[in-house]
Amino acid sequence: MKEIKFDEKELPVIEKVIVESIKTRVLKANAKGGIVALSGGVDSSLVLVLSKKALGKNLLALIMPEKDITPEKDVEDAVKLVKKIDVDYEIIEISEFVEKFSRVLKRGEREEREYSIYNLKPRIRMIINYLYANTLNYLVIGTSNKTELLLGYGTKYGDLAADIYPIGDLYKTQVWQLAEYVGIDAEIVKKVPSAGLWKGQTDEEEIGYTYSQIDSVLYSLVDLELSVKETSLILGIPEEAVYDLYIRVVKNEHKRRPPTITKISKMCLDKDWKYPVERE
Amino acid sequence: MRKVRVSLLQLSTKLGKIEENYEKILNGIEYSLKEKAEIIVTPELATIGYGSGDIYLDKVRENLEVLEKIKKKVKDFYLILGYMEEDSKGFFYNSAALIYNGEIIGNYRKVQLVNYRLFDEKRYFKAGNRMPVFKTKFGKIGILICEDVWFPEPPRAMALRGAEVLFVIGASPFERKKDEIWINYLKQRVYDNILPVCFCNQAGSQEGIVYMGFSMYLNARGEIVCKGKLIEEDIVIFDLDLDEYKRIRRRDIRLREVRKEVIEDLLRACEEMENEGN
Repeated sequence: MKEIKFDEKELPVIEKVIVESIKTRVLKANAKGGIVALSGGVDSSLVLVLSKKALGKNLLALIMPEKDITPEKDVEDAVKLVKKIDVDYEIIEISEFVEKFSRVLKRGEREEREYSIYNLKPRIRMIINYLYANTLNYLVIGTSNKTELLLGYGTKYGDLAADIYPIGDLYKTQVWQLAEYVGIDAEIVKKVPSAGLWKGQTDEEEIGYTYSQIDSVLYSLVDLELSVKETSLILGIPEEAVYDLYIRVVKNEHKRRPPTITKISKMCLDKDWKYPVERE
Repeated sequence: MRKVRVSLLQLSTKLGKIEENYEKILNGIEYSLKEKAEIIVTPELATIGYGSGDIYLDKVRENLEVLEKIKKKVKDFYLILGYMEEDSKGFFYNSAALIYNGEIIGNYRKVQLVNYRLFDEKRYFKAGNRMPVFKTKFGKIGILICEDVWFPEPPRAMALRGAEVLFVIGASPFERKKDEIWINYLKQRVYDNILPVCFCNQAGSQEGIVYMGFSMYLNARGEIVCKGKLIEEDIVIFDLDLDEYKRIRRRDIRLREVRKEVIEDLLRACEEMENEGN
Protein backbone atom coordinates (compact mmCIF):
# COMPACT_ATOMS: atom_id res chain seq x y z
CA MET A 1 0.00 0.00 0.00
CA LYS A 2 2.75 2.41 -1.00
CA GLU A 3 0.55 4.83 -2.94
CA ILE A 4 -1.30 6.17 0.08
CA LYS A 5 1.89 7.89 1.21
CA PHE A 6 2.93 11.01 -0.62
CA ASP A 7 6.24 11.09 -2.49
CA GLU A 8 8.54 13.76 -1.20
CA LYS A 9 8.07 15.85 -4.31
CA GLU A 10 4.27 15.76 -3.92
CA LEU A 11 4.30 17.40 -0.48
CA PRO A 12 5.07 21.00 -1.53
CA VAL A 13 2.32 20.85 -4.15
CA ILE A 14 -0.24 19.41 -1.72
CA GLU A 15 0.64 22.14 0.75
CA LYS A 16 0.23 24.82 -1.90
CA VAL A 17 -3.12 23.43 -3.07
CA ILE A 18 -4.54 23.49 0.45
CA VAL A 19 -3.20 26.96 1.26
CA GLU A 20 -4.59 28.30 -2.01
CA SER A 21 -8.03 26.81 -1.37
CA ILE A 22 -8.25 28.29 2.15
CA LYS A 23 -7.19 31.70 0.89
CA THR A 24 -9.71 31.72 -1.97
CA ARG A 25 -12.60 30.44 0.08
CA VAL A 26 -12.17 33.12 2.75
CA LEU A 27 -11.78 35.81 0.12
CA LYS A 28 -14.81 34.69 -1.89
CA ALA A 29 -16.97 34.48 1.22
CA ASN A 30 -16.06 38.13 1.85
CA ALA A 31 -14.87 36.97 5.26
CA LYS A 32 -12.00 38.67 7.03
CA GLY A 33 -10.21 35.59 8.27
CA GLY A 34 -10.49 32.17 9.88
CA ILE A 35 -10.91 30.38 13.17
CA VAL A 36 -9.29 27.09 14.06
CA ALA A 37 -10.22 25.15 17.20
CA LEU A 38 -6.80 24.00 18.34
CA SER A 39 -6.54 20.90 20.51
CA GLY A 40 -2.82 20.35 20.51
CA GLY A 41 -3.27 17.31 18.28
CA VAL A 42 -1.84 16.84 14.83
CA ASP A 43 -4.95 17.59 12.71
CA SER A 44 -5.76 20.97 14.17
CA SER A 45 -2.07 21.88 14.37
CA LEU A 46 -1.66 21.14 10.67
CA VAL A 47 -4.79 23.12 9.78
CA LEU A 48 -3.54 26.03 11.85
CA VAL A 49 -0.14 26.09 10.16
CA LEU A 50 -1.70 25.90 6.67
CA SER A 51 -4.27 28.57 7.59
CA LYS A 52 -1.49 30.82 8.84
CA LYS A 53 0.20 30.53 5.45
CA ALA A 54 -3.10 31.36 3.74
CA LEU A 55 -4.44 34.10 6.00
CA GLY A 56 -1.47 35.60 7.83
CA LYS A 57 -2.61 37.79 10.72
CA ASN A 58 -6.32 37.19 10.11
CA LEU A 59 -6.45 33.99 12.08
CA LEU A 60 -7.62 33.10 15.56
CA ALA A 61 -6.88 29.87 17.42
CA LEU A 62 -9.38 28.82 20.06
CA ILE A 63 -7.94 26.47 22.63
CA MET A 64 -10.86 24.94 24.53
CA PRO A 65 -9.75 22.43 27.15
CA GLU A 66 -11.99 20.66 29.61
CA LYS A 67 -10.86 20.57 33.23
CA ASP A 68 -9.61 17.14 34.39
CA ILE A 69 -10.20 15.66 30.94
CA THR A 70 -7.89 17.47 28.53
CA PRO A 71 -4.24 16.62 29.28
CA GLU A 72 -2.26 19.69 30.30
CA LYS A 73 0.37 18.70 27.78
CA ASP A 74 -2.16 19.31 24.97
CA VAL A 75 -2.77 22.88 26.09
CA GLU A 76 0.98 23.44 26.47
CA ASP A 77 1.63 22.11 22.97
CA ALA A 78 -1.17 24.25 21.52
CA VAL A 79 0.14 27.41 23.19
CA LYS A 80 3.67 26.61 22.12
CA LEU A 81 2.51 26.29 18.51
CA VAL A 82 0.52 29.55 18.39
CA LYS A 83 3.48 31.39 19.88
CA LYS A 84 5.93 29.75 17.50
CA ILE A 85 3.98 30.72 14.38
CA ASP A 86 2.58 33.97 15.85
CA VAL A 87 -1.16 33.35 15.83
CA ASP A 88 -3.65 35.23 18.00
CA TYR A 89 -5.39 32.88 20.46
CA GLU A 90 -7.83 32.50 23.35
CA ILE A 91 -8.00 29.78 25.98
CA ILE A 92 -11.56 29.01 26.96
CA GLU A 93 -12.29 26.37 29.54
CA ILE A 94 -15.53 24.52 28.71
CA SER A 95 -16.27 22.52 31.90
CA GLU A 96 -18.87 24.94 33.27
CA PHE A 97 -20.90 24.72 30.05
CA VAL A 98 -20.66 20.93 29.97
CA GLU A 99 -21.88 20.86 33.53
CA LYS A 100 -24.81 23.22 32.93
CA PHE A 101 -25.98 21.51 29.76
CA SER A 102 -25.69 18.10 31.41
CA ARG A 103 -28.13 19.22 34.10
CA VAL A 104 -30.81 19.87 31.45
CA LEU A 105 -30.82 16.21 30.43
CA LYS A 106 -33.68 14.36 32.12
CA ARG A 107 -34.05 11.20 30.02
CA GLY A 108 -32.06 8.06 29.28
CA GLU A 109 -30.09 5.43 31.14
CA ARG A 110 -26.81 6.43 32.72
CA GLU A 111 -24.74 4.98 29.87
CA GLU A 112 -26.86 6.68 27.21
CA ARG A 113 -26.58 10.00 29.00
CA GLU A 114 -22.84 9.64 29.29
CA TYR A 115 -22.55 9.01 25.56
CA SER A 116 -24.60 12.13 24.71
CA ILE A 117 -22.44 14.17 27.02
CA TYR A 118 -19.33 13.06 25.15
CA ASN A 119 -20.93 14.51 22.04
CA LEU A 120 -22.01 17.63 23.89
CA LYS A 121 -18.40 18.71 24.33
CA PRO A 122 -17.50 19.19 20.66
CA ARG A 123 -20.89 20.91 20.25
CA ILE A 124 -20.04 23.42 22.94
CA ARG A 125 -16.74 24.08 21.18
CA MET A 126 -18.69 24.55 17.96
CA ILE A 127 -20.91 27.18 19.59
CA ILE A 128 -17.85 29.08 20.76
CA ASN A 129 -16.24 28.77 17.31
CA TYR A 130 -19.26 30.34 15.66
CA LEU A 131 -19.68 32.92 18.40
CA TYR A 132 -16.25 34.25 17.52
CA ALA A 133 -16.67 33.65 13.79
CA ASN A 134 -19.86 35.71 13.60
CA THR A 135 -18.39 38.50 15.65
CA LEU A 136 -15.20 38.78 13.63
CA ASN A 137 -16.70 37.82 10.25
CA TYR A 138 -14.34 34.85 10.10
CA LEU A 139 -14.94 31.38 8.66
CA VAL A 140 -14.64 28.29 10.83
CA ILE A 141 -11.91 26.11 9.39
CA GLY A 142 -12.66 22.47 10.09
CA THR A 143 -9.99 19.97 11.07
CA SER A 144 -11.62 16.67 10.05
CA ASN A 145 -9.52 14.36 7.92
CA LYS A 146 -10.60 11.73 5.38
CA THR A 147 -10.23 8.82 7.80
CA GLU A 148 -12.60 10.49 10.30
CA LEU A 149 -15.04 11.63 7.64
CA LEU A 150 -15.26 8.12 6.20
CA LEU A 151 -15.71 6.42 9.56
CA GLY A 152 -18.04 9.11 10.85
CA TYR A 153 -15.58 9.57 13.68
CA GLY A 154 -16.71 13.04 14.57
CA THR A 155 -19.70 14.75 16.17
CA LYS A 156 -22.40 16.01 13.84
CA TYR A 157 -22.78 19.76 14.38
CA GLY A 158 -19.86 19.47 16.76
CA ASP A 159 -16.31 19.20 15.46
CA LEU A 160 -17.80 18.33 12.05
CA ALA A 161 -19.45 21.77 11.89
CA ALA A 162 -17.23 24.03 9.82
CA ASP A 163 -17.23 26.14 6.68
CA ILE A 164 -14.41 24.25 4.98
CA TYR A 165 -12.47 21.03 5.43
CA PRO A 166 -9.02 21.79 4.05
CA ILE A 167 -7.55 18.41 5.10
CA GLY A 168 -10.76 16.45 4.47
CA ASP A 169 -9.19 14.59 1.53
CA LEU A 170 -6.13 13.48 3.52
CA TYR A 171 -5.99 10.20 5.42
CA LYS A 172 -4.49 10.31 8.90
CA THR A 173 -1.32 8.71 7.54
CA GLN A 174 -1.03 11.59 5.07
CA VAL A 175 -1.82 14.17 7.75
CA TRP A 176 1.19 12.92 9.70
CA GLN A 177 3.38 13.20 6.62
CA LEU A 178 2.27 16.72 5.76
CA ALA A 179 2.48 17.85 9.40
CA GLU A 180 6.06 16.70 9.55
CA TYR A 181 6.80 18.38 6.23
CA VAL A 182 5.45 21.78 7.33
CA GLY A 183 7.66 21.60 10.42
CA ILE A 184 5.25 20.78 13.23
CA ASP A 185 7.10 19.58 16.32
CA ALA A 186 7.57 15.83 16.64
CA GLU A 187 5.90 16.04 20.06
CA ILE A 188 2.64 16.84 18.32
CA VAL A 189 3.11 14.66 15.26
CA LYS A 190 4.04 11.60 17.29
CA LYS A 191 1.33 12.10 19.91
CA VAL A 192 -1.15 9.25 20.32
CA PRO A 193 -4.35 10.48 18.60
CA SER A 194 -7.31 11.20 20.86
CA ALA A 195 -10.65 12.91 20.41
CA GLY A 196 -10.30 13.96 24.05
CA LEU A 197 -13.85 13.04 25.01
CA TRP A 198 -12.90 11.28 28.23
CA LYS A 199 -9.75 10.93 30.22
CA GLY A 200 -7.19 8.61 28.67
CA GLN A 201 -9.23 8.06 25.51
CA THR A 202 -7.34 7.07 22.37
CA ASP A 203 -8.83 6.90 18.88
CA GLU A 204 -7.24 3.58 18.02
CA GLU A 205 -8.55 1.91 21.15
CA GLU A 206 -12.03 3.30 20.62
CA ILE A 207 -12.24 2.39 16.94
CA GLY A 208 -10.59 -0.95 17.59
CA TYR A 209 -7.89 -0.82 14.92
CA THR A 210 -4.63 1.05 14.37
CA TYR A 211 -4.65 4.04 12.02
CA SER A 212 -2.24 2.22 9.77
CA GLN A 213 -4.71 -0.68 9.43
CA ILE A 214 -7.70 1.63 9.08
CA ASP A 215 -6.08 3.80 6.42
CA SER A 216 -4.90 0.84 4.36
CA VAL A 217 -8.39 -0.63 4.45
CA LEU A 218 -10.16 2.63 3.63
CA TYR A 219 -7.71 3.51 0.88
CA SER A 220 -8.27 0.10 -0.66
CA LEU A 221 -12.08 0.29 -0.41
CA VAL A 222 -12.53 3.93 -1.39
CA ASP A 223 -9.63 5.06 -3.53
CA LEU A 224 -8.76 1.76 -5.16
CA GLU A 225 -12.43 0.68 -5.26
CA LEU A 226 -11.62 -2.90 -4.20
CA SER A 227 -14.19 -5.13 -2.56
CA VAL A 228 -14.18 -6.20 1.08
CA LYS A 229 -12.92 -9.63 0.06
CA GLU A 230 -10.15 -8.31 -2.18
CA THR A 231 -9.07 -5.81 0.47
CA SER A 232 -8.91 -8.55 3.08
CA LEU A 233 -6.82 -10.78 0.81
CA ILE A 234 -4.39 -8.08 -0.27
CA LEU A 235 -3.81 -6.63 3.19
CA GLY A 236 -3.97 -9.89 5.10
CA ILE A 237 -6.58 -8.40 7.44
CA PRO A 238 -9.52 -10.65 8.44
CA GLU A 239 -12.60 -10.15 6.27
CA GLU A 240 -14.77 -9.42 9.32
CA ALA A 241 -12.52 -6.53 10.30
CA VAL A 242 -12.61 -5.05 6.79
CA TYR A 243 -16.38 -5.51 6.70
CA ASP A 244 -16.72 -3.79 10.04
CA LEU A 245 -14.94 -0.70 8.71
CA TYR A 246 -16.88 -0.86 5.44
CA ILE A 247 -20.18 -0.80 7.33
CA ARG A 248 -19.05 2.20 9.34
CA VAL A 249 -18.35 4.07 6.10
CA VAL A 250 -21.79 3.19 4.73
CA LYS A 251 -23.69 4.01 7.92
CA ASN A 252 -22.09 7.41 8.28
CA GLU A 253 -22.98 8.88 4.91
CA HIS A 254 -25.42 11.16 6.73
CA LYS A 255 -22.56 12.87 8.52
CA ARG A 256 -21.07 13.88 5.19
CA ARG A 257 -24.26 15.43 3.78
CA PRO A 258 -26.55 18.29 4.59
CA PRO A 259 -30.01 17.14 5.75
CA THR A 260 -32.10 15.49 3.03
CA ILE A 261 -34.92 17.69 1.72
CA THR A 262 -38.24 16.06 0.79
CA LYS A 263 -38.92 16.86 -2.84
CA ILE A 264 -42.20 18.61 -3.63
CA SER A 265 -41.40 21.15 -6.32
CA LYS A 266 -39.65 20.98 -9.68
CA MET A 267 -36.69 22.71 -8.06
CA CYS A 268 -35.82 20.84 -4.89
CA LEU A 269 -32.83 22.63 -3.44
CA ASP A 270 -30.61 19.64 -2.68
CA LYS A 271 -31.53 17.67 -5.80
CA ASP A 272 -32.45 19.72 -8.84
CA TRP A 273 -30.72 22.98 -8.05
CA LYS A 274 -26.97 23.19 -8.46
CA TYR A 275 -25.19 26.40 -7.64
CA PRO A 276 -21.66 27.13 -6.51
CA VAL A 277 -20.95 28.29 -2.97
CA GLU A 278 -18.41 30.80 -4.20
CA ARG A 279 -21.02 32.60 -6.25
CA GLU A 280 -20.90 36.35 -5.87
CA MET B 1 12.19 28.47 -40.38
CA ARG B 2 8.51 29.21 -39.76
CA LYS B 3 8.15 30.42 -36.21
CA VAL B 4 5.18 31.99 -34.53
CA ARG B 5 5.08 33.53 -31.08
CA VAL B 6 2.40 31.99 -28.92
CA SER B 7 1.10 33.15 -25.54
CA LEU B 8 -0.81 30.76 -23.28
CA LEU B 9 -2.89 32.67 -20.74
CA GLN B 10 -2.97 30.36 -17.73
CA LEU B 11 -5.67 32.33 -15.95
CA SER B 12 -7.63 31.73 -12.79
CA THR B 13 -11.00 32.38 -14.41
CA LYS B 14 -14.04 31.90 -12.13
CA LEU B 15 -17.40 30.32 -12.69
CA GLY B 16 -20.01 32.99 -13.44
CA LYS B 17 -17.68 35.94 -12.80
CA ILE B 18 -18.02 37.38 -16.29
CA GLU B 19 -16.59 40.86 -15.62
CA GLU B 20 -13.66 39.53 -13.61
CA ASN B 21 -12.84 37.00 -16.33
CA TYR B 22 -13.16 39.64 -19.04
CA GLU B 23 -10.65 41.87 -17.25
CA LYS B 24 -8.23 38.99 -16.82
CA ILE B 25 -8.45 38.06 -20.49
CA LEU B 26 -7.90 41.68 -21.60
CA ASN B 27 -4.93 42.10 -19.27
CA GLY B 28 -3.48 38.85 -20.57
CA ILE B 29 -3.89 40.00 -24.16
CA GLU B 30 -2.29 43.35 -23.42
CA TYR B 31 0.71 41.72 -21.77
CA SER B 32 1.07 39.18 -24.59
CA LEU B 33 0.99 41.85 -27.28
CA LYS B 34 3.80 43.72 -25.58
CA GLU B 35 5.74 40.47 -25.80
CA LYS B 36 4.87 40.38 -29.51
CA ALA B 37 2.62 37.32 -29.36
CA GLU B 38 0.86 36.45 -32.60
CA ILE B 39 -1.43 33.71 -31.30
CA ILE B 40 -2.96 34.13 -27.83
CA VAL B 41 -4.80 31.29 -26.12
CA THR B 42 -7.18 31.23 -23.12
CA PRO B 43 -8.34 28.27 -21.01
CA GLU B 44 -11.61 26.39 -21.58
CA LEU B 45 -14.83 28.41 -21.09
CA ALA B 46 -12.68 31.40 -20.13
CA THR B 47 -15.43 34.00 -20.48
CA ILE B 48 -17.91 32.27 -18.17
CA GLY B 49 -15.43 30.27 -16.09
CA TYR B 50 -15.21 26.52 -15.69
CA GLY B 51 -16.93 24.66 -12.89
CA SER B 52 -20.21 22.94 -12.45
CA GLY B 53 -23.28 24.96 -11.73
CA ASP B 54 -26.60 26.13 -13.12
CA ILE B 55 -25.04 29.57 -13.14
CA TYR B 56 -24.01 28.70 -16.72
CA LEU B 57 -27.66 28.97 -17.69
CA ASP B 58 -28.04 32.36 -16.03
CA LYS B 59 -24.90 33.87 -17.49
CA VAL B 60 -24.85 32.62 -21.05
CA ARG B 61 -26.03 35.91 -22.51
CA GLU B 62 -23.49 37.98 -20.60
CA ASN B 63 -20.80 35.58 -21.76
CA LEU B 64 -21.86 36.13 -25.37
CA GLU B 65 -21.78 39.89 -24.87
CA VAL B 66 -18.24 39.60 -23.57
CA LEU B 67 -17.31 37.52 -26.60
CA GLU B 68 -18.53 40.40 -28.80
CA LYS B 69 -16.54 42.92 -26.77
CA ILE B 70 -13.39 40.83 -26.92
CA LYS B 71 -13.82 40.26 -30.67
CA LYS B 72 -13.59 43.99 -31.28
CA LYS B 73 -10.28 44.15 -29.42
CA VAL B 74 -8.62 41.54 -31.61
CA LYS B 75 -6.69 43.32 -34.36
CA ASP B 76 -3.64 41.89 -36.01
CA PHE B 77 -3.30 38.70 -33.98
CA TYR B 78 -5.18 35.46 -33.42
CA LEU B 79 -7.10 34.71 -30.25
CA ILE B 80 -8.32 31.25 -29.28
CA LEU B 81 -11.06 31.92 -26.76
CA GLY B 82 -13.02 29.40 -24.71
CA TYR B 83 -16.67 30.44 -24.35
CA MET B 84 -20.20 29.10 -23.99
CA GLU B 85 -21.98 28.98 -27.34
CA GLU B 86 -25.72 29.04 -27.93
CA ASP B 87 -27.11 27.82 -31.26
CA SER B 88 -30.32 28.91 -33.04
CA LYS B 89 -32.26 26.11 -31.32
CA GLY B 90 -31.22 27.29 -27.86
CA PHE B 91 -28.71 24.45 -27.30
CA PHE B 92 -25.41 25.18 -25.58
CA TYR B 93 -21.88 24.09 -26.42
CA ASN B 94 -18.54 24.19 -24.69
CA SER B 95 -16.78 25.97 -27.56
CA ALA B 96 -13.63 27.71 -28.71
CA ALA B 97 -13.67 30.66 -31.09
CA LEU B 98 -10.73 31.48 -33.31
CA ILE B 99 -10.81 35.24 -33.65
CA TYR B 100 -8.82 37.39 -36.06
CA ASN B 101 -9.23 41.04 -36.99
CA GLY B 102 -12.51 41.40 -35.15
CA GLU B 103 -14.09 38.32 -36.73
CA ILE B 104 -14.68 34.73 -35.62
CA ILE B 105 -12.93 32.89 -38.42
CA GLY B 106 -13.35 29.45 -36.89
CA ASN B 107 -15.48 27.81 -34.23
CA TYR B 108 -14.98 24.46 -32.52
CA ARG B 109 -17.38 22.60 -30.21
CA LYS B 110 -16.00 20.16 -27.64
CA VAL B 111 -16.69 16.66 -28.89
CA GLN B 112 -15.89 14.65 -25.75
CA LEU B 113 -17.96 16.10 -22.93
CA VAL B 114 -16.96 14.92 -19.46
CA ASN B 115 -19.53 13.41 -17.13
CA TYR B 116 -17.73 11.30 -14.60
CA ARG B 117 -16.81 11.97 -10.97
CA LEU B 118 -16.93 15.73 -10.32
CA PHE B 119 -17.72 16.61 -13.94
CA ASP B 120 -21.24 17.34 -15.11
CA GLU B 121 -20.91 18.89 -18.57
CA LYS B 122 -23.80 17.03 -20.18
CA ARG B 123 -26.17 18.74 -17.77
CA TYR B 124 -25.55 21.92 -19.79
CA PHE B 125 -23.81 21.20 -23.08
CA LYS B 126 -24.46 19.38 -26.31
CA ALA B 127 -21.43 17.70 -27.83
CA GLY B 128 -19.95 18.84 -31.13
CA ASN B 129 -19.42 16.34 -33.94
CA ARG B 130 -16.91 18.08 -36.19
CA MET B 131 -13.15 18.14 -36.03
CA PRO B 132 -12.14 20.89 -38.44
CA VAL B 133 -8.83 22.64 -38.98
CA PHE B 134 -8.58 26.39 -39.47
CA LYS B 135 -6.42 28.34 -41.87
CA THR B 136 -4.28 31.10 -40.42
CA LYS B 137 -1.52 33.12 -42.03
CA PHE B 138 0.96 30.90 -40.22
CA GLY B 139 -0.52 27.59 -41.26
CA LYS B 140 -3.40 25.25 -40.44
CA ILE B 141 -4.30 24.78 -36.81
CA GLY B 142 -6.52 22.42 -34.86
CA ILE B 143 -8.26 23.37 -31.62
CA LEU B 144 -9.27 20.82 -28.99
CA ILE B 145 -10.95 21.23 -25.64
CA CYS B 146 -9.52 19.37 -22.63
CA GLU B 147 -10.96 15.82 -22.63
CA ASP B 148 -10.87 15.80 -26.46
CA VAL B 149 -7.15 15.17 -26.29
CA TRP B 150 -7.58 12.16 -23.98
CA PHE B 151 -9.07 10.41 -27.00
CA PRO B 152 -6.98 9.51 -30.04
CA GLU B 153 -9.66 10.26 -32.63
CA PRO B 154 -10.18 14.06 -32.53
CA PRO B 155 -6.45 14.91 -32.77
CA ARG B 156 -6.04 12.25 -35.46
CA ALA B 157 -8.87 13.71 -37.55
CA MET B 158 -7.27 17.14 -37.35
CA ALA B 159 -3.85 15.77 -38.24
CA LEU B 160 -5.32 14.06 -41.29
CA ARG B 161 -6.98 17.35 -42.28
CA GLY B 162 -3.57 18.95 -42.35
CA ALA B 163 -3.27 20.57 -38.92
CA GLU B 164 0.29 21.76 -38.32
CA VAL B 165 -0.19 22.37 -34.62
CA LEU B 166 -2.83 21.44 -32.05
CA PHE B 167 -4.01 23.90 -29.43
CA VAL B 168 -5.65 22.31 -26.40
CA ILE B 169 -7.59 24.57 -24.05
CA GLY B 170 -8.46 23.05 -20.69
CA ALA B 171 -9.79 23.44 -17.16
CA SER B 172 -8.26 20.40 -15.55
CA PRO B 173 -8.33 20.23 -11.74
CA PHE B 174 -5.32 19.26 -9.68
CA GLU B 175 -5.27 15.83 -8.15
CA ARG B 176 -2.42 13.50 -7.22
CA LYS B 177 -0.34 12.47 -10.25
CA LYS B 178 -2.56 14.41 -12.64
CA ASP B 179 0.45 16.35 -14.00
CA GLU B 180 2.10 13.09 -15.03
CA ILE B 181 -1.13 11.86 -16.63
CA TRP B 182 -1.39 15.04 -18.69
CA ILE B 183 2.20 14.80 -19.85
CA ASN B 184 1.57 11.22 -20.92
CA TYR B 185 -1.57 12.06 -22.87
CA LEU B 186 -0.06 15.09 -24.58
CA LYS B 187 3.11 13.23 -25.51
CA GLN B 188 1.08 10.36 -26.86
CA ARG B 189 -0.85 12.70 -29.15
CA VAL B 190 2.40 14.20 -30.39
CA TYR B 191 3.74 10.71 -31.14
CA ASP B 192 0.47 9.64 -32.78
CA ASN B 193 0.35 12.56 -35.15
CA ILE B 194 3.87 14.03 -35.23
CA LEU B 195 2.68 17.54 -34.50
CA PRO B 196 3.47 20.13 -31.85
CA VAL B 197 0.88 20.56 -29.11
CA CYS B 198 0.18 23.67 -27.02
CA PHE B 199 -1.88 23.12 -23.86
CA CYS B 200 -3.41 26.07 -22.01
CA ASN B 201 -5.04 25.20 -18.68
CA GLN B 202 -6.98 27.08 -16.03
CA ALA B 203 -5.31 27.83 -12.67
CA GLY B 204 -6.48 28.91 -9.22
CA SER B 205 -8.88 27.70 -6.59
CA GLN B 206 -12.66 27.47 -6.69
CA GLU B 207 -15.08 25.51 -4.49
CA GLY B 208 -12.35 23.33 -3.02
CA ILE B 209 -11.05 22.47 -6.47
CA VAL B 210 -7.68 23.87 -7.40
CA TYR B 211 -7.10 23.96 -11.15
CA MET B 212 -3.79 22.53 -12.18
CA GLY B 213 -2.32 25.18 -14.47
CA PHE B 214 0.76 23.43 -15.91
CA SER B 215 0.18 24.75 -19.42
CA MET B 216 2.89 23.59 -21.80
CA TYR B 217 4.36 23.49 -25.25
CA LEU B 218 5.51 20.13 -26.58
CA ASN B 219 7.44 20.21 -29.82
CA ALA B 220 6.86 17.71 -32.61
CA ARG B 221 9.42 15.40 -30.99
CA GLY B 222 7.35 15.21 -27.85
CA GLU B 223 9.79 17.23 -25.75
CA ILE B 224 8.39 19.72 -23.26
CA VAL B 225 9.92 23.00 -24.41
CA CYS B 226 8.35 25.18 -21.73
CA LYS B 227 5.65 24.95 -19.14
CA GLY B 228 3.61 27.12 -16.78
CA LYS B 229 3.53 26.95 -13.01
CA LEU B 230 1.48 24.38 -11.16
CA ILE B 231 -1.77 25.83 -9.73
CA GLU B 232 -0.85 29.53 -9.97
CA GLU B 233 -1.71 31.96 -12.74
CA ASP B 234 0.98 32.31 -15.34
CA ILE B 235 1.53 33.42 -18.91
CA VAL B 236 3.65 31.11 -21.03
CA ILE B 237 5.21 32.70 -24.10
CA PHE B 238 7.34 30.87 -26.65
CA ASP B 239 8.22 30.62 -30.32
CA LEU B 240 6.40 27.70 -31.85
CA ASP B 241 8.30 25.85 -34.57
CA LEU B 242 6.00 25.02 -37.48
CA ASP B 243 8.55 23.30 -39.70
CA GLU B 244 9.97 20.70 -37.36
CA TYR B 245 7.11 18.25 -37.83
CA LYS B 246 7.84 18.02 -41.54
CA ARG B 247 11.47 17.11 -40.94
CA ILE B 248 10.39 14.33 -38.60
CA ARG B 249 7.72 13.08 -40.94
CA ARG B 250 10.30 12.49 -43.72
CA ARG B 251 11.28 9.28 -41.99
CA ASP B 252 8.55 8.79 -39.41
CA ILE B 253 5.85 7.94 -41.92
CA ARG B 254 3.16 6.56 -39.59
CA LEU B 255 0.62 9.30 -40.24
CA ARG B 256 0.96 8.73 -43.98
CA GLU B 257 0.34 5.03 -43.37
CA VAL B 258 -2.97 5.46 -41.53
CA ARG B 259 -5.22 3.03 -43.38
CA LYS B 260 -8.78 3.74 -44.39
CA GLU B 261 -9.57 0.00 -44.23
CA VAL B 262 -8.46 -0.11 -40.61
CA ILE B 263 -10.57 2.94 -39.76
CA GLU B 264 -13.55 1.39 -41.54
CA ASP B 265 -13.20 -1.67 -39.38
CA LEU B 266 -12.87 0.57 -36.32
CA LEU B 267 -16.23 2.06 -37.27
CA ARG B 268 -17.71 -1.42 -37.55
CA ALA B 269 -16.27 -2.23 -34.11
CA CYS B 270 -17.95 0.91 -32.75
CA GLU B 271 -21.26 -0.19 -34.22
CA GLU B 272 -20.85 -3.67 -32.76
CA MET B 273 -20.19 -2.15 -29.34
CA GLU B 274 -23.26 0.09 -29.65
CA ASN B 275 -25.45 -2.79 -30.79
CA GLU B 276 -24.28 -5.22 -28.15
CA GLY B 277 -27.22 -6.26 -26.04
CA ASN B 278 -29.78 -4.64 -28.39
